[in-house]
Amino acid sequence: MNCVELQQSLAEVEDGSSVEQRAHLRACTACTALVKELDLIIAAAGELQAAEEPSPRVWNSIEIALRREGLIRPQRVERLLVPSFATRWGAARWLVPAAAMLLLAVGIYMRRESQPNQLTQQASVATPVANASGLNDDELMQEVVDNAPAMKPQYEENLWRVNESIREAQGLVDDSPNDEEARRSLMDAYHQKSMLFEMAMDRSLP
Amino acid sequence: MRPEKGDLTEPRQQQGTELSEAEAIERAKLGDAEAFRALYDKHKRRVYSLCLRMTANTAEAEDLAQEAFLQLYRKIATFRGESAFSTWLHRLSVNVVLMHLRKKSLPVVSLEETTQGTEEDSPRKDFGAEDVALAGSVDRMQLQRAVDSLPPGYRTIFVLHDIEGYEHNEIAKIAGCSIGNSKSQLHKARMKLRDLLKMERAEKAGKSRAG
Repeated sequence: MNCVELQQSLAEVEDGSSVEQRAHLRACTACTALVKELDLIIAAAGELQAAEEPSPRVWNSIEIALRREGLIRPQRVERLLVPSFATRWGAARWLVPAAAMLLLAVGIYMRRESQPNQLTQQASVATPVANASGLNDDELMQEVVDNAPAMKPQYEENLWRVNESIREAQGLVDDSPNDEEARRSLMDAYHQKSMLFEMAMDRSLP
Repeated sequence: MRPEKGDLTEPRQQQGTELSEAEAIERAKLGDAEAFRALYDKHKRRVYSLCLRMTANTAEAEDLAQEAFLQLYRKIATFRGESAFSTWLHRLSVNVVLMHLRKKSLPVVSLEETTQGTEEDSPRKDFGAEDVALAGSVDRMQLQRAVDSLPPGYRTIFVLHDIEGYEHNEIAKIAGCSIGNSKSQLHKARMKLRDLLKMERAEKAGKSRAG
């Protein structure tokens, strides 16, 4: 192998490790220098990866386009209530209508609350009924255990938090039945709980 | 050491409040603006650098990075996690750039065949004989300038292989050339870079002697 052949062979065996290449390199300082310099270039090339920062214009343009196309949507739930489901949960699709029923029930309840002379009505929210068919929190958790056992701790915590929110909001409404803000908080809390079901359904869609 | 093409992530510290990538992907599927931004922040440098290296033009690179992320967000609902998210984004970004080069009628790879090198590309007997050696290391900025001045076909292969870590069989599929052509183009790109770097060093040495 001569110098020209060595150089041509580097396209196939770039590190000069073939028997023929090594035999030539042992006797040729120029080709040895060439191989070393190509190695330097290869090593330095890695530093060019992720070396540049785009200008803020790029994100601004992206965000404008996302909003224009409707890809960014208003968030419907608090972050703490969004479980990061990694698995499908197809068996619990029926919870979507259940969540809708819950919202309907809450709407009726709030309407009653807003009527004059009916402010003494109390509603128990410590263990709210999640749907008209009688599903409660325990049964819901059983579904989680059956279908996505890994999600149990996270779901348990989220459920506890939302029930706490409902309890606190209910307390405010009981204390001040005419407080618009308190009623809105209670509505929001129920809404969050229903959205918790809905989020699970979102993850189960193919 | 050659970088892994699959790892597109930014060298950021993970903080307690920071979204994990998996969480960000799930939330982005629901249209969460914060999640879109988190994914952008995590991958913007790698995507933009790829676009810049392959086009050697800042404005074009920004437009292409924008297009790559927009395509990503439009398709993110279809991401099922079978492959790494970064690999998916990376391939998408490469495709956006190659499509752009094709629209501009720029060669994605050089049209010449592996056995038909130009006179300039043919092996030389006098290489390394009297020029400046690239001793020690190669300066990143110098290399960057040299890559930018490569012919587009050579640049594409060099960026995909030596910077982004693609294998020749993958490049052949992406760029629509043979594996042999990819190997040949890469070798010629490296030789060309070596010449460019040596020329720059020789010019600098000449100036310092004159000064």
